[in-house]
Amino acid sequence: MWTYEKKLQYPVKIKNPNPKLAQIIISQLGGPDGEIGASMRYLHQRYSMPYGQVVGILTDVGTEELAHMEMVSAIIHQLTRNLSEDEIAKSPFATYFVDHTTGVYPVAASGVPYDMKYIGVKGDVIADLNEDLAAEQKARVTYDNILRLIDDPDVCDPIKFLREREVVHYQRFAERVQSG
Amino acid sequence: MNHHQPIDRDTCRREKMQLRALDFAIQETVLFLDAYPEHPQALAYYHRLCEERRELLAKHEKHCGPVSMYGNANQNAWDWVKGPWPWEPDAN
Repeated sequence: MWTYEKKLQYPVKIKNPNPKLAQIIISQLGGPDGEIGASMRYLHQRYSMPYGQVVGILTDVGTEELAHMEMVSAIIHQLTRNLSEDEIAKSPFATYFVDHTTGVYPVAASGVPYDMKYIGVKGDVIADLNEDLAAEQKARVTYDNILRLIDDPDVCDPIKFLREREVVHYQRFAERVQSG
Repeated sequence: MNHHQPIDRDTCRREKMQLRALDFAIQETVLFLDAYPEHPQALAYYHRLCEERRELLAKHEKHCGPVSMYGNANQNAWDWVKGPWPWEPDAN
């Protein structure tokens, strides 16, 4: 089971709403390499994993990914506060707004809703761990791309934290593959 | 009767940041211990951090409200439903 903690893993405090940034960053919520997919991938790979140490990492990284899902959602929420109709109409966020208003719904930047087809659970130690290594790198690249497209320091700060976690998780999974 | 002692928001915010920092150190240590379950320094570090967390959490929940559903220290009100919620700027 899980128990909720009423705090973000790393603070998100954005002064200036900006729907254009939200429309880009939402990909790390519901996109192909986003945080929902990450948590679903690791938590579901546990049942067929024969090694306790790998089950431990899948559980603890999968749980941390849920906290990252909440951080990305907090960024989206804060970037879309107090907007005027005019600001929305002039922004690429308008196509999202028409369907979801300012609710936080998991989609990719392109607007495609989250799909479990983004993740793999093969039931095989080598296949699943290699999927996990690739997944961490793909998420890291997506954060790199986001950092190329934004320059608000309030937004870059938590995005850099999330990017760094991809690197750490990759290392932890890589050690398991090497020791295999 | 256990009286809820309200305290200023800045203190609560500062304590929550300390809690985040401790939890981050614990998270990193846990991921390391998953891979190296018998590492003596990592285990000692883990136990030290957890003790520090227990003390800080008890103090924080007493005057700033619950962090988890087990931590509603106030006998007279259900503070769990009071904002700000984590995704609001004021909580960070």
